Amino acid sequence: SAPSPATQKPLYLCSPFVEAALVKGNFKTIVMLPKYVDIMEWVAVNILFSCEYTVFDFFQNLNMFYGVISECCTQQSCPTMAAGPTLNYTWINQDRKSVQLPAPTYIDYVMTWVQNLLDDENTFPTKSGQDFPASFPSTIKHVYRQLLRVFAHIYHAHYPQILHLRSEPHFNSLFAHFLAFGREYELLDIKDVRGPPNAPAVGIGALWERWKEMGILES
Amino acid sequence: SAQSSKPADYVYFDRTTAAFSDDAVPRAKAAQLKLEHYYKVAVDAAIERNTRRVELERRLQTDTMLSDERKQRQLMQHGKKESTFLRLRRTKLGLDDFRTVKVIGKGAFGEVRLVQKTDTGKIYAMKTLKKEEMLKKDQLAHVRAERDVLAESNSHWVVQLFYSFQDPSYLYLIMEFLPGGDLMTMLIKYDTFSEDVTRFYMAECVLAIEAVHSLGFIHRDIKPDNILIDKDGHIKLSDFGLSTGFHKNHDSSYYQRLLDQANGAVSPTSAAQAARNSVMVNAINLTMTSKDQIATWKANRRKLAYSTVGTPDYIAPEIFLQQGYGNECDWWSLGAIMFECLVGYPPFCSETTHETYQKIIHWQYHLVIPDDVHLSREAEDMIRRLITSTDRRLNVEQIKNHPFFYGVDWSAIRQIDAPFVPRLRSITDTSYFPVEDLDQAGTDDTAGADTNDSSKDLAFLGYTFKRFTISNGA
Ligand SMILES: Nc1ncnc2c1ncn2[C@@H]1O[C@H](COP(=O)(O)OP(=O)(O)OP(=O)(O)O)[C@@H](O)[C@H]1O
Repeated sequence: SAPSPATQKPLYLCSPFVEAALVKGNFKTIVMLPKYVDIMEWVAVNILFSCEYTVFDFFQNLNMFYGVISECCTQQSCPTMAAGPTLNYTWINQDRKSVQLPAPTYIDYVMTWVQNLLDDENTFPTKSGQDFPASFPSTIKHVYRQLLRVFAHIYHAHYPQILHLRSEPHFNSLFAHFLAFGREYELLDIKDVRGPPNAPAVGIGALWERWKEMGILES
Repeated sequence: SAQSSKPADYVYFDRTTAAFSDDAVPRAKAAQLKLEHYYKVAVDAAIERNTRRVELERRLQTDTMLSDERKQRQLMQHGKKESTFLRLRRTKLGLDDFRTVKVIGKGAFGEVRLVQKTDTGKIYAMKTLKKEEMLKKDQLAHVRAERDVLAESNSHWVVQLFYSFQDPSYLYLIMEFLPGGDLMTMLIKYDTFSEDVTRFYMAECVLAIEAVHSLGFIHRDIKPDNILIDKDGHIKLSDFGLSTGFHKNHDSSYYQRLLDQANGAVSPTSAAQAARNSVMVNAINLTMTSKDQIATWKANRRKLAYSTVGTPDYIAPEIFLQQGYGNECDWWSLGAIMFECLVGYPPFCSETTHETYQKIIHWQYHLVIPDDVHLSREAEDMIRRLITSTDRRLNVEQIKNHPFFYGVDWSAIRQIDAPFVPRLRSITDTSYFPVEDLDQAGTDDTAGADTNDSSKDLAFLGYTFKRFTISNGA
């Protein structure tokens, strides 16, 4: 049968999957800066990887979900870090050249880089009395942008697998939380999420707009 | 019809896991469970943090003596404290951070050691629990209960828990160290106590049990070995291994379900779900009306619990009879301990546990105060009104007003001098513990402890804890 307009649309934008959510309600409850609390500590605790089992953060949660579908993300299936029909993220290599990498390689680089940062006491101090470095906000933004790309690739290339594994309510909520948090603390530039301002939004940019229309995210 | 109400972009998707490796399905389930747990914790933390702030703001608002400047300073301090707490949550504590001084006790799943935190030099008691043993004996729910009681209480009647953490083989509880040993050791040493001394310990136990009950827990296993003595000779309760708090997580079957789900066992609900196009989840709600939520949550913990456990000497008959019971079972235990303090042995002690069970169930025929022991009328009456059927057993107010406790100042008992004050030569003095009887070799039997399996780790989700007390920060 000829593909209808509805099936050309990515599955994650279609009903009922676009509405699927583990967490209902306004993310403000857990995203909002607690009154009087040091903003640096607040941002660090939410993004930071912790070896403890109770403190899960975006990095670890995303890593966990990627780990589940990684068997489907291979050099063959994903020769580029694609996030839309014409959107391919490139990696800046040591010579400051942007290069195309297969998605699993790209994601491995991202995750390893973030993990190393998180383990670095100078970037993420855990000892009491130790201050955050001045570069902390820009480092965090950098981390955030790369994690966004990993989400974007999973949505674009692996959403059917998420559906097969019945994980879409969970994955959607994790991503919605990630977006809400990123916007609240200005860790995400709109153009990174949405794409160029004068073109129609693609990939997760379209999802972001849809969620705003639905009231899941604030504009 | 339902069909026509579907949006234009409604898509049916045939779900199948056929293309995945055997590993992927349980891993996906585990990821989902972990994420659910993550959001539950995050919401709870937000509610708690909010409650702490609102309480402080309310207190400052009603305080007319304090200047605005001092109020502002207090709010800033509060923010600092919360920030430090956030950092504390990220601090990775492990076995390496503690040095063993001595093994001071042994239990069913591990041991209790006197340890020193290497960076601060502070002394703690560390309880080690072997995960494998706990899974085998289905004790997980119980330990979770213990952790929760210790963690939730700020009561000086309950041993404080400062940290807990885990590695693949063990769970660790870092508690305050009570250098005075326990009441059992004391009873072994003195055989019996005078009525005055007994009155002191019983009065403190009454307050301690009352404190546990007001936290919403039933101890169920109060016995002389769980009554610990602090450096001033006052008591604190430990070992909540058997207490029930009615959290969902305290239900053993809850963990079994987690493990089954992770192992891909199909439950009836997921079979029904398989036929659906959309996935049903128990959504976590972010809207908080904190007061109502806390109230319902607390009320839910007060339901009845059923199960049979433990060393029977001090356990109330209704627990064995499995008809459900309330917190009055702890007052029976207190009666049995009081009997032991005055007579020298517990009322139903026998050669075998079976015989003890029998005697407890038919307590009317077996509660006998021996002829050669002379008790005051008040003391005997107190015992007989605790070791009795549930409908005749005294409640906490009646106990406090009983003539046996005549003259006790209930509001100041922790401030008066205790009858026995431990004489300690140092902060690591263990002379009140039977350390010679314990194997000091250590438990480095980590080899062969095959608990690296991720599905097993799921059972220990939410175990790790750090206390909200800045002074204890690393
Ligand atoms: N915080 C503490 N400070 C000092 N000593 C302690 C502390 N906690 C426990 N102990 C000692 O260790 C002994 C065993 O502890 P506990 O009863 O908690 O272990 P357990 O594993 O629960 O044993 P069981 O289940 O057999 O009662 C206690 O009787 C007491 O002597």
